[in-house]
Amino acid sequence: MQINEGHSTPCFAGPFLQWSQWQLLDSLLPTGGFAHSFGLEAAVQTHLVSDSNDLKTFVIHILENTGSLLLPFVYSASMLPTLENWHKLDKILDATLTNEVSRKASISQGSALMRVASAVFSEVPSLKTMRDASLGLGTVSFHHAPVFGLICGALGFDRTSSQRAYMFITMRDVISAATRLNLIGPLGAALLQHQVAPIAEVILEKWMNSAVEEACQTMPLLDTVQGCHGYLFSRLFSS
Amino acid sequence: MGSVVVEKVGGRSSATSCFSRYPLKFFIPKKVGSSKTDAVWVYALNYGGGIVSGDHISCKFSVGDSCTMVLTTQGSTKVYKSVGSKCSQQILEARIGSNALLAIIPDPVTCFSTARYYQKQVFSMSSDSNLVIVDWITSGRHESGEKWDFDLYRSTNNIFLEDGQPLFLDTMLLEKEKTGCVQEQMHNYQVIAMVVLLGPKMQYIQNLVQDHVKNIMSEQLQRPSAALSHHQQRAKADHFITKPSFVASCSAFGPKKSGLLVRVAAETTESVYKFLRLQLAPMEPMIGVPPYR
Repeated sequence: MQINEGHSTPCFAGPFLQWSQWQLLDSLLPTGGFAHSFGLEAAVQTHLVSDSNDLKTFVIHILENTGSLLLPFVYSASMLPTLENWHKLDKILDATLTNEVSRKASISQGSALMRVASAVFSEVPSLKTMRDASLGLGTVSFHHAPVFGLICGALGFDRTSSQRAYMFITMRDVISAATRLNLIGPLGAALLQHQVAPIAEVILEKWMNSAVEEACQTMPLLDTVQGCHGYLFSRLFSS
Repeated sequence: MGSVVVEKVGGRSSATSCFSRYPLKFFIPKKVGSSKTDAVWVYALNYGGGIVSGDHISCKFSVGDSCTMVLTTQGSTKVYKSVGSKCSQQILEARIGSNALLAIIPDPVTCFSTARYYQKQVFSMSSDSNLVIVDWITSGRHESGEKWDFDLYRSTNNIFLEDGQPLFLDTMLLEKEKTGCVQEQMHNYQVIAMVVLLGPKMQYIQNLVQDHVKNIMSEQLQRPSAALSHHQQRAKADHFITKPSFVASCSAFGPKKSGLLVRVAAETTESVYKFLRLQLAPMEPMIGVPPYR
């Protein structure tokens, strides 16, 4: 049983929480994550990723950058899931995601996640009320990391699990993109995911519980390459 | 430790105040470019030709309404090895007035083996201010085999509007201890560069740069990649797979897309100088001479 830290308990209890938590992390949840390759498609076409070793390294580097750049937003949103804090984080992240490709992907995924979560997790009515209030304002971008943190907080994840969950879904989505790009088969993907998990945990421990002011990017080459997505001759993914 | 104020005097941009203290020195030439040019050029020099372990340098600039100021260097900024794990730092704060232009166009930073260096540039501006920032780093004395061998490099560029709204918040961190061997993630690229073009006066150049980068990159990404396969034969002479020696991408940012960010990764410093020369050449009428000549 997860114990909420630092915010009011939602109005449903115990074991039922776990069903909702697993549902949030399940790839079955229709959040459109699979339209995005996290720069993998561009990395393949610029020959940064040519074989399965390169792929494993790429996944690890994406996780490193997720840790350094995005975890602070997940952390802060899950710790203080108020409308005001969420909007503040959304604005800061919008200025921080200087890469247009990843900024648009973040907005697209965050909007979809908020829409789905507020409809599905109806026992947490604050999600819907916050979403409606934010749509009304027109100045909220609905970036992914703060939305994810907000929902984790609402579903009873503790702060470490919220950040671990974000690393988990990022890895899940990059590896899924790799299978769709035919870089790896389904069993290979599962093996890779399992191999990288302990490395992802080390990355999590390095970057977790950091302030948003410390958010930084640590993979400038990948960032540059991801920005080339729009120049790709043929593409499967939107980013 | 250092500060320059540029204001209009008799209708021309002039440095009405200039102060610097060891190890920093500012040099303001009397004239740059033609006599029609209305710009103050400031060369920032470090005594000893570089930044020594533990140096803490900070400077403030103020560019008055409708003025133009250019900040540049006389050569690449060398950051020497860290002694006793001390970190050296450079902090720059600038205020840019309405319809003014600040162009920061230095040579690259080169961190030597074991160097620890942190730089932070914070800009405060109005929605009709103009800003050009070039921020770039080379891998070290790569001819002698020093490639990405420094211990820590962190560079922050933050841009705020008058009301304190963040417009652009970017920090890049390369740290051996924290993120592991930097050389591994850089493949064979020896230079990482970033260019920011922001403001109404930059619109025209932004459009040119976007088109140019799109052309360079589309040419290199012409062929759709083959899917990987276990059975794929490698090292056939006509199936040679090479990474591009120069990679660049553009991102628009800000309300009404008033800003453009260009990121570059390249195998040689010269190719980036060439790129900067070409992309920033249209700035000549604003600042007197084309940058990176």
